[in-house]
Amino acid sequence: MSISVNGQSCVPPGFRFHPTEEELLNYYLRKKVASQQIDLDVIRDVDLNKLEPWDIQERCKIGSGPQNDWYFFSHKDKKYPTGTRTNRATAAGFWKATGRDKAIYNAVSRIGMRKTLVFYKGRAPHGLKSDWIMHEYRLLDADDSSSAATAAMVTASSVAASEAAGQQGPEDGWVVCRVFKKKHHHKDTNSGSGSGSGNKKAAALRRSSSSPLYSSGDDAALDQILHYMGRSSAACKQEHDSPRPAPAQTQAQARPTSRYLRPIETALAGGHGFMKLPPLESPSSAAAAAPPNTTPVPETTMDWAMMDRLVASHLNGQLHDDHASTAVVDDDHRLCSAFDDGAGEDNDDGGLAFYSAAATRLLGAAAGAVDDDLWSFARSAERLSHHGSQ
Amino acid sequence: MGGASNLPPGFHFFPSDEELIVHFLRRKASLLPCRPDIVPTLPPNRYDPWELNGKALEAGNQWYFFSHSTQSRTSQNGQWNPIGADEAVSSGGRNIGLKKKFIFSIGEPFQSNKTNWVMHEYHLLDGNGGSSTSSSSGKRSHKKKGHSNKESSNWVICRVFESSCHSQVSFHEDDMELSCLDEVFLSLDDYDEVSLPKN
Repeated sequence: MSISVNGQSCVPPGFRFHPTEEELLNYYLRKKVASQQIDLDVIRDVDLNKLEPWDIQERCKIGSGPQNDWYFFSHKDKKYPTGTRTNRATAAGFWKATGRDKAIYNAVSRIGMRKTLVFYKGRAPHGLKSDWIMHEYRLLDADDSSSAATAAMVTASSVAASEAAGQQGPEDGWVVCRVFKKKHHHKDTNSGSGSGSGNKKAAALRRSSSSPLYSSGDDAALDQILHYMGRSSAACKQEHDSPRPAPAQTQAQARPTSRYLRPIETALAGGHGFMKLPPLESPSSAAAAAPPNTTPVPETTMDWAMMDRLVASHLNGQLHDDHASTAVVDDDHRLCSAFDDGAGEDNDDGGLAFYSAAATRLLGAAAGAVDDDLWSFARSAERLSHHGSQ
Repeated sequence: MGGASNLPPGFHFFPSDEELIVHFLRRKASLLPCRPDIVPTLPPNRYDPWELNGKALEAGNQWYFFSHSTQSRTSQNGQWNPIGADEAVSSGGRNIGLKKKFIFSIGEPFQSNKTNWVMHEYHLLDGNGGSSTSSSSGKRSHKKKGHSNKESSNWVICRVFESSCHSQVSFHEDDMELSCLDEVFLSLDDYDEVSLPKN
């Protein structure tokens, strides 16, 4: 058999290279990893760091027909100098992980994991999000499979275990990637780089929560959370500062701080006092002045507490009136790792991991130094159980 | 299955509307061999949609077959009812065909239960390979039906599938699959992003 793919196309009409996830993992990637010959050179090796997404379609063309997605092998050997995360930066931008990794199953068992990444033009953290999406598939390794055993249990310990396993995932191996351009189901505002667009955010959140896309039972919980976020968004119009501010930025950050006071005051006026209050004078600048590593731990635990409350409210239909500070989440390593580029990197897909990922992303910017979101979030959560506010 | 079997894994039959008409329906109607000859011909209204497995060409949870267009689309256990407006299928800027959509209902007409089974039925606008202009093509093709080969002019090619929230309706329309959660996380990324400092 010989089908010249790169020269004259002999792919019969109507046929496309559109492999299933199982084919990608169990045939192509497995052969690649084992250095076996693959009949046809349909999937090329690509140096991700040297290839911009808009060049991929030329490089990874198959046949002459129209193509909506492109495939390549990539070797994850590049790391950022500062850590263990894979370097997926190109000359023009970088690939940033989003969401959590998804386990890929065949009829029998789990065979691999899929990471979703979005291409941002520019350099972190100022990148401009593009419509280019990449699904990066990796084979299941020993660690992944051991964590699979615990994945069914939605407990903090299983999350921690799988997270630990994920840390030592197959970081240096081959992956097979599919790149495509996201279609817009509705008119999108995500190119709006507008500065103070709290309303836009709120609109985006409301839009997502009301969209039929998310009406499946699976996502009802998230839907509800987004709904709460939408309601509380009126109180969180302010912009956040970067989660880990460098001391040099302190000046710049002190200014917007005054705006943060209002939600705190209102929260105080509400008189619930269910949390220990941070010092009233400019909490964010205080935090910002501290060296990055000494970011106060309680603040990172608070959003976990908030999330717990929301989750609890969803699960039980009511809020426990316990103190937020009693919900101890000592997992702030996880939180931190989710902050930067690798959000959801190598996550497992336990339910709690899902909530935590959502919480981290919802509150991510707030958790490092800024409190306003936390407060408004707290207030909206509080409103669920108490009606006497204000 | 014809020329398909020697393709490596990952190649699947995902024809576009245009390909269905240009490479399959037109050739069929012109009595030319289809290459590859993988789409079987089934008698009209013989089978309920769930009976197509093994009889029609299966590709990615969709079934393809040639048939002849009929007035009534009633099979043993139900009938196909039209949904939506007909769509024109164009190639090179010219309309070459028509795509009709149907949904299958079980039981007697008017007291039947809708199913998830959907059929796309493709018709040629111009039986003769596109020499006519689209404006008058309707009339002219009717005339042609009259005297030229009566049989071939009402050939249709059908795509039948069970629509559900995750089925791939058509390669070209719904290829960019992002899971619901992916979409949510993407929108949350927006949220994140707006939060970043502007300096």
